[in-house]
Amino acid sequence: MKNILALVLLAAASTARADLALVSRGPVYADTKNGPLKAPEGVACADGALVVADTGNGRLVSYDWKDGVVSGGAEIKLAQVTYPVRVQLDGKGNILVLDRKAKRIARLDRKGAFQGWVDVKGESGVVPAAFKLDAADGLYVLDLTSNAVLALDPAGALVRKVELPKRGALFVDLAVDAAGTIYALDALGSEVWSVAKGGAEFKPLSKGLKDSMSFPSYLTSDGKGTLLVVDQNGNGIVLLGIDGSYLGRRLSIGWSEGAVYYPTQLCLTQGGELAVADRGNNRLDLFTVTR
Amino acid sequence: MRSRTLLALLSALSLLAAGAAGAENKLKLQPGANGKVCLGCHTGDLEKALKKPFIHTPVKARDCTGCHSPHASNHGKLLSEEPSKTCAACHDVVPAKPKSAHKPVTDGGCLTCHDPHASGFKNNLVKAPRDLCAGCHKAVVQTATKAKFKHRPVEQDCATCHDPHGSAKGASLLKGGVPELCVGCHKMERPILVAKHMNYPVAGARCTSCHDPHGSNVRGMLYDNVHPPVAKGMCAQCHEPPGSPKRFQPRQAGMALCKGCHAQKVAGMLDRNRVHWAVVGGDACLSCHSPHAAKEKGLVKANMVTVCGACHADTVKRQALSETKHKPISEGQCTKCHDPHGSGAALLMAKADTVELCGTCHDWQKHSTHPLGAKHKDPRNQNLTLDCLSCHRAHGTEYKHMNPFPTTTELCTKCHEKFKR
Repeated sequence: MKNILALVLLAAASTARADLALVSRGPVYADTKNGPLKAPEGVACADGALVVADTGNGRLVSYDWKDGVVSGGAEIKLAQVTYPVRVQLDGKGNILVLDRKAKRIARLDRKGAFQGWVDVKGESGVVPAAFKLDAADGLYVLDLTSNAVLALDPAGALVRKVELPKRGALFVDLAVDAAGTIYALDALGSEVWSVAKGGAEFKPLSKGLKDSMSFPSYLTSDGKGTLLVVDQNGNGIVLLGIDGSYLGRRLSIGWSEGAVYYPTQLCLTQGGELAVADRGNNRLDLFTVTR
Repeated sequence: MRSRTLLALLSALSLLAAGAAGAENKLKLQPGANGKVCLGCHTGDLEKALKKPFIHTPVKARDCTGCHSPHASNHGKLLSEEPSKTCAACHDVVPAKPKSAHKPVTDGGCLTCHDPHASGFKNNLVKAPRDLCAGCHKAVVQTATKAKFKHRPVEQDCATCHDPHGSAKGASLLKGGVPELCVGCHKMERPILVAKHMNYPVAGARCTSCHDPHGSNVRGMLYDNVHPPVAKGMCAQCHEPPGSPKRFQPRQAGMALCKGCHAQKVAGMLDRNRVHWAVVGGDACLSCHSPHAAKEKGLVKANMVTVCGACHADTVKRQALSETKHKPISEGQCTKCHDPHGSGAALLMAKADTVELCGTCHDWQKHSTHPLGAKHKDPRNQNLTLDCLSCHRAHGTEYKHMNPFPTTTELCTKCHEKFKR
């Protein structure tokens, strides 16, 4: 009886995840001074804050995002960070940004003042391709040099290193869920790999998604049992279960509002809002997630 | 030994005769009905064929029913089975687990290469072996013919190194792996070869990483583009000395080694906003370049469609499926539009301005009157101006003219909404 109940609940959960829909809330085109965004590649959000890596303009732009309404748009222009591509917010609202030119991760305070670089203590020659934070602000770096995921404590000390499969894969992003499971995204095989907290090696989670994704570039978890994959070249968002199962595909190519053109990063708020850094459209696309 | 072979041959022939006689008896056939009778009607070409030096065994034995059904069939030429199965009944030529197999064989096209009745060439080939291979592998054979330094087996018979059906041992139908296949003829312990390889123990190395097995214009049959230190025999410039316990290990790992000579180039690459991940990760320069010699210019490992497609398979696939082909991609010239080392623009475009980039090949003002350029806003998006990519996808789509939408009307009415029906 218990087993049947569990199966019913699992099926209901799967249906709910597959029913995830995105309702367009319009785009963000400019900063507070009406300066247009140019090829933005990164976006991070928390309830109340929205930070965009406005890559083509070599700056960050910080907005307020309350009750689904975006306002403000203060420019953060730093001498140290000239080509920001990925951005995350920690639990205190501080900003972490990956600069592709510097090939380093910078720490900024919540107002955007430069606090310093993340220097990995215990590993040399690190070239970060991507990074993520966990709930305790532990930092996870996808390192191109060692082809591994490096887990750092908030002070930057290396606490764990998990190597990625060496051949036949091109890892471009990672995600960490509340249980501490690390997910790694292989753009070449269109696969997601995972390693449980304390695990020693990555194992394939999803398989055979080449027909569902063209060139996935970004991965995040919604904390509710769904992995969201940004399919950059396929111009869409692919939904996967945490077991790697394919749940569906959202958004499509286009230049009009609600469509995307070479999207690169997305972020989700606890309140069910979603923002997409829409590089090819020179804008940020906002959506409400409905289930 | 010879008498034993003769004995085996006679036994086989007597068994064949007995089998034929058995079938005739079982079906109460007229004498010769499984073959000789056929020749009463099938004269002409078949008669001529029977005069050729190489005759297929069942034909020679006048056993036409070995392959054909005399009354009716679901297959062409009254074959008892579809052609590949008919041949496979006697000829088990493809290994059970092949590492490579010849496409005509896997497609069941035995007759692409063989004449089922008779031929002037051994193994009933339809042409002389080299001419036959050249029918499909024209580029390889032509290049080999023109090569200044030729590989003798290529001049004689491709089948010296390749198994034309399939191979259990190597890729590209090779009869063995490399170097095993090569060292079968080239004894690496010979002093001249030891000296040519600067005393490095290359007997276990992959010969085809430097040598073109089909011939080349460079002495030693090195690929046409040789890395200068290799050409000058300065192996120790990059590798530990011969005899070192580290054997072939490079003196430095990754890009650091290349930087020794190419410092300016590397610095220029690393200074760009976006460095290609292949440059900084994995095998660094060796992700795309061969360190010794290569067929392609710039020591690129292979044709760019192959090299770039190793990671960007989705893009190559899109082009392959596209109704309209974009020439630089189909010709493997990815660098016409992209800078493979790094760029200031997204997607490693060689020029940030799309109109300018496309304009290097397409003189758009001559074939289009549609406004384009920085002065013309895209009506769909206030942050975009009109450029070539407003209407086309450079790597193609499933629709004509690299159009992202099924019809031209659908494309145009995205902006010109008043014409939408």
